[in-house]
Amino acid sequence: MTGRDDDQHEGGCGDARSQRRDALVQLRLSKHDSRRDFLKGIAVAGAAIAGGAGCADEHFQKHYKELTDEDKRHVFQRIEQETRAKTGVRVKISDPQPLDGVQFAYALDLSLCNGNRRCAEACARENNLPDEPRFRYIQVLQMERGTVDLERGEHYYEPEKVPQPGKVYLPVQCHHCEKPACIKVCPVGATWREPDGIVVVDYDWCIGCRYCMAACPYFGRRFNFAEPAIRPNRINPEQGYLSNRLRRAGVVEKCTFCLQRTRTGRYPACLEACPTGARKFGDLSDPESEIRVMLERKRVFVLKEDLGTIPRFYYFYT
Amino acid sequence: MRSAIGAHQDLSSAGVLAIIGLAASLAVAGCHDAQAQAAQSEPSSTTASSAAGPAVSVEPRAKLLPTFPCSSCHQHLKPNPEKRELKEFHTVRNKELHHGDSAAWCYQCHSMANIDRLVIARGDLVTFDEAFLLCGSCHGDKLRDWKLAIHGKTMGHWRGDKIKRSCTGCHNPHAPKFPAIEPEAAPWPPTGMKAH
Repeated sequence: MTGRDDDQHEGGCGDARSQRRDALVQLRLSKHDSRRDFLKGIAVAGAAIAGGAGCADEHFQKHYKELTDEDKRHVFQRIEQETRAKTGVRVKISDPQPLDGVQFAYALDLSLCNGNRRCAEACARENNLPDEPRFRYIQVLQMERGTVDLERGEHYYEPEKVPQPGKVYLPVQCHHCEKPACIKVCPVGATWREPDGIVVVDYDWCIGCRYCMAACPYFGRRFNFAEPAIRPNRINPEQGYLSNRLRRAGVVEKCTFCLQRTRTGRYPACLEACPTGARKFGDLSDPESEIRVMLERKRVFVLKEDLGTIPRFYYFYT
Repeated sequence: MRSAIGAHQDLSSAGVLAIIGLAASLAVAGCHDAQAQAAQSEPSSTTASSAAGPAVSVEPRAKLLPTFPCSSCHQHLKPNPEKRELKEFHTVRNKELHHGDSAAWCYQCHSMANIDRLVIARGDLVTFDEAFLLCGSCHGDKLRDWKLAIHGKTMGHWRGDKIKRSCTGCHNPHAPKFPAIEPEAAPWPPTGMKAH
């Protein structure tokens, strides 16, 4: 099933939208413009809106931060129903809240990473990234040994085996900065930093201007240029409202440290998939957490420290 | 017998796991007799847990080995202490043995006295599930980092029960260099054009 097929689904939002659009286009192009035609057009457009009641709900939906628990229940129900109608998959939308006093951070051992991209693939499955087009939250840069030259990093490499001799690998994903440039530039406040340090996007509030993508110095964000197409049997039904629920064309998305997993105490999917054990994750505010123990014993660095973004994503060598 | 030299060591599995992160279990982890552990018929469980906190367990090894226990064959054989190329059995192992290349051979790590146990550098016997003690007797820096969860893979929960992968969970002990593997497919450029 492709995204375009989904649009044709009877009663779906895409259907109502396209009817409304067609009606308005006809209206504009009409050579015999008259009040009657105009009213007819409005009637069609109005019917289209009325036909897709869910779409109207969505249209008047408030920003995530303004939603009451009651609103959330309605919104989650609507999303579950829409997803069911669109893909046939029964999903569960949840909204795990930040844990008290927890500050998430991530670390990556560059002496172990061999560029196998298992992390990126596991992330795609966990977070319902589309089969087509194929983009990934985690971009693994292949660089010449002895350099950490991000600008010359190659992430489309496709050798038979990794690691290639003379190459080093550096995975980059959202760094969940303490001072994120992406948030400052968002004109509508559709992206913000949660109390536990996770930078999230409200996909229903994002207008798709991509200012955040231009502002991010780490290429941490991805844009749905096309309607994302995902095979129903690959959809992860455990979905977080602010993380891995299905997105649509025209919105920005990114790594959320798998908040639907991590806020329930589990590790992110990328960490569990890494065959070399290069990835570390934990709570910065807990002095006995793995990440703190590592930070106290190893020399770490962050990317583009001079920009003052204060990433929560550390790299180290052992 | 080298194994006799290392008796009454405080380095037992319980002791090591206590270091991993459970202060509570430190109290119960006293001086265990390594030989007493080795004499058990079943490999000891490497799970440390306490009522107070979450458990940290190490993935077991012995039950994953298709030919374990080794004694099912070796009890009928007399150990041959001569370092040699194996031509009848373990020929694959023999071929792929790339560990400290010329120096290593079977009885450097496997116990001659009890073939179902491993022998660490100072002579203690440890179970196959405690292989990290054997590896760490040479690679002390890695064992230190592994105990702190800096080296190695930890699964489960960052807050809650954890499962640690032992050295042999990732490294082939006979050829420990991590092999080159096939990468997952590359992403597409955002334009939809394939990279060249």
